[in-house]
Amino acid sequence: MSFDFALIVDSIPKILTGIGLTFQLLFLSAVLGLALAIILLLMRISGRWYLVAPTMVYIYIFRGTPILVQIFIIYYGLPQLEFVRDSIFWPILREAFGCAIVALTLNTGAYVSEILRGGVLGVDRGLKEAGAALGLSARHRFIYVTAPIAIRLCLPAYSNDVISLMKSTALASTITLLDMMGIARTIVAETYAPYEIFISVMVVYLILTWIIQRGFGWMEKRMSRHVRSEA
Amino acid sequence: MEALTGWWDDFFWGSLVVVEIFFVALILTVLFGLIGSAAKLSKSRVAHSIASAYTIVFRGTPEILVLLLFYFGSAITLTAIAQVFDPEIKFVDIPPFWAGSLAIALIVGSYATETFRGAFLGVDPGQVEAARALGLSNLKTFIYVRIPAMWRLALPPFGNHMLSLIKDTALIAIIGLEETLFVAKQAIGTTGKPFTMYIVVGAIYLGFSTVITLSVMVLERYANRHLEVAR
Amino acid sequence: MIPKVLDMSDSDQTNIIQLEHVDKFFGAFQALKNISLSVKKGERIVVCGPSGSGKSTLIRCINRLEEHDNGKIVVNGHELTSAVKDIDAVRSEVGMVFQSFNLFPHLTIIKNLMLAPRLVRKASKSEAYDTAMRYLERVKIPEQADKYPSQLSGGQQQRVAIARALCMNPLIMLFDEPTSALDPEMISEVLDVMIDLAREGMTMIVVSHEMGFARKVADLVVFMDQGEIVESNPPEEFFDNPRNERTKLFLSQILSH
Ligand SMILES: Nc1ncnc2c1ncn2[C@@H]1O[C@H](COP(=O)(O)OP(=O)(O)OP(=O)(O)O)[C@@H](O)[C@H]1O
Ligand SMILES: [Mg+2]
Repeated sequence: MSFDFALIVDSIPKILTGIGLTFQLLFLSAVLGLALAIILLLMRISGRWYLVAPTMVYIYIFRGTPILVQIFIIYYGLPQLEFVRDSIFWPILREAFGCAIVALTLNTGAYVSEILRGGVLGVDRGLKEAGAALGLSARHRFIYVTAPIAIRLCLPAYSNDVISLMKSTALASTITLLDMMGIARTIVAETYAPYEIFISVMVVYLILTWIIQRGFGWMEKRMSRHVRSEA
Repeated sequence: MEALTGWWDDFFWGSLVVVEIFFVALILTVLFGLIGSAAKLSKSRVAHSIASAYTIVFRGTPEILVLLLFYFGSAITLTAIAQVFDPEIKFVDIPPFWAGSLAIALIVGSYATETFRGAFLGVDPGQVEAARALGLSNLKTFIYVRIPAMWRLALPPFGNHMLSLIKDTALIAIIGLEETLFVAKQAIGTTGKPFTMYIVVGAIYLGFSTVITLSVMVLERYANRHLEVAR
Repeated sequence: MIPKVLDMSDSDQTNIIQLEHVDKFFGAFQALKNISLSVKKGERIVVCGPSGSGKSTLIRCINRLEEHDNGKIVVNGHELTSAVKDIDAVRSEVGMVFQSFNLFPHLTIIKNLMLAPRLVRKASKSEAYDTAMRYLERVKIPEQADKYPSQLSGGQQQRVAIARALCMNPLIMLFDEPTSALDPEMISEVLDVMIDLAREGMTMIVVSHEMGFARKVADLVVFMDQGEIVESNPPEEFFDNPRNERTKLFLSQILSH
C-alpha cells in the first residue's frame, strides 16, 4: 500500500479528457442560471403578488432540497411521467447531459437570484431617491443606478456561488456522465487506487477554484475603481 | 400514491438516519469550526497555515469527491492493515455512517471556520477588556464573554451551514448509507415509480430544511432578545 | 442684499408651488398636519425647526418622494396625485439636493451630471457634456470632472450635487439640510453657490438652520414643529420679533451656539 506515482502520471491525462465536459456543464448552467436568476429577481421585486409568490415558492423548494435529489428527480423521475415524454423538452430530458444542465441551472438560478436581491436591497435608498429626484424613470433608475451598484455589491457572493456550481457539476457523475469526476470514479473502479486518483482530480478542482477566485477578484478590483481615493 | 403503500415505514427509518447523521455531523462541524477558527486567529504560523490549507482544500473540492476519498481511502487502508493479520480478509471499511458524517462535517466545518473567525473578530474588544479588568481569567473571558457575543454574529451564516449539512447527508447514500435516497432506490426497484419516490425524498428534505430555518429564527430572536426595544 | 420677491408686490403672479391642508402619516404617526404653503416663482423659502418636526417630509412631498395622504399639492400646474402619470416629468422640473449628497458612486463627476439630461431630456452627448462643464464651472470645480465622488471633499461633493440638479434646468430647487453633513470650513463654499443661485432668481425651498443664510436670501422663513407650520414670516420679522413661544425657544437654542 504505497502511493503509486506512476499511476498518477498515467491517469492525469485521462482525467483531463473530462475537463471539457466539466467546463461545458459549468459555463452553460452558469450562463443559463444567471439569466434565470435575473428573471426571478425581477419577478421577486415586481411587487405583484402573483409574480412574487411563485418566485418565493420556487426559491424555497430549490434551496431547501439537496441538488442530488433534484438531479435524480429530473433524470430518473421525469421519464415516469407521460406528458414529459410527449413534450418538446423530451430530446433534452432524455439525455443525461441535458438533465444535468437543467438541474444545475434551476438550482443555481434560485441561489443567484437571492444573491442579486441582496445586492439590490443593499443599494443605498438615497441614491435611488436622487435618481427619482432627477426625473429618471423607474426603469432607468434600475438600469443606470441600482443595477451597477448592486452588481458590485454581490460580486463576492456570486463568485462563491460559481465555485459551488463548479463543485456541483461533479454530481453529474452520478447520472452516468463522464466529466472529470466520472472519469476518476471509473479509473478508481478499475485500479482500486482511490488515493492516487481522487487526490489528483482534487488538485485539478482546486486549481479551477483558484482560477475562478482570481478571475472574480480581478473583476471586483476593476469595478471598485471609484472606491479607491487618490491619496 | 398507492405505489407508496408499504414504503412509508422505510422512509421513516431512512429519515431517522438523516436526523442522526445530522446531529453527529453538527457537533463535529462546530468542533472543527471552533478549532479551525482558533488556529486561524492564533499567532502560531504553523497552526495558521494548517487551518488555511484545511479551508482551501475543503471549500474548493466537490463534496462527493471528499466523501468518496474518505470512504474508499479509509477502506483500502483498513483492509491493508487487516490483511497483515489475516490474509483471508477481503474488505474492511469504516461504516458509511461514520465516514459520511466525518466527511460532511469536515466540509461544512471549513465554512464554519471562516464564519467563526469573522464572528470572533467582530466581538467588541472593549467587552473583552472590561471582562479582563474585572479579573476574569482568559478562559472565563472566552466562555462567558467572547463565545456568547460571537454566537450572535455567527448565527445567521451558521443557519446556512446547517442547511448545507442536512442537504449534504443525501450524498451519503452514494456510499451505501441507508437513508431516504437509498430507500427510494430500493422502492423504485420494486415499484418502477422513480418520480414518486424521489419527490417523497425531496419533500422529506424540504421538511427538514423548514424545521432548521424556523429553529434558527427562534434562536436568533433569543440571541438578540436584549436588543428588543422595551415596550 | 438680494431683492426680495415679496417687495415686488406682484400679487397676480401665480403660485408655482401650492400646498393646501396637506396631511402625511407614517402608519399611525402623523408627520405633517394640515400644511398650507404657497410659493411664487422666484421666491425663496427657508424652513427650519427641531429634529423630527417634518421638514424633510414636507419637501419630499413636493417632488413626491413621499406621497401625502390628504390635501392638495400643485407643482407648476400639475396636481400630485397617485394617478399622476408623468411624475418623472414633474420631478425633472424640480431639482433636489440632499443632506448626504447622494452622488452616484460608480460614475465619474461628469457622468453624474450627464446621466439625467441624456436619459430624460434626450440631450446629445456633446450637449450634455457642455451643459455639465458649464455648471461645474459655476460651482467652481471643473477640474474634478473625471474623478469619482469618493475622491472629493464633502463640500465639493455637495457642489457637484447642486450642479447635477441644475443640469436639468429645473424651475424649482429643493434643498434638504445641504450643509449639515459638512465640516464647518466647507459650509460657506456651498452656501456661496446657493446665494448665487438665489441672486439669479431661482425658486428655492431650503431646509436649513443657517440663520445667516436665511436672513440674507429668504423671502419667508417657515418654522415647523411637530408636523405643523407654527410661524412663517419674512426674516426680519421672524428673527427680530418672533411671536410664538415655540419659535422663541427654538431661536434661543439655535442662536446660543
Ligand atoms: N419613512 C418613514 N417611516 C416612518 N416614520 C418616518 C419616516 N420618515 C420620517 N418619519 C418620521 O416623521 C417625522 C418627521 O421626519 P422628518 O424627517 O420630516 O423630520 P425633520 O424635521 O426633517 O428632522 P431632521 O432635522 O432630523 O432631519 C419623524 O418623527 C420621523 O421619525
Ligand atoms: Mg430632515
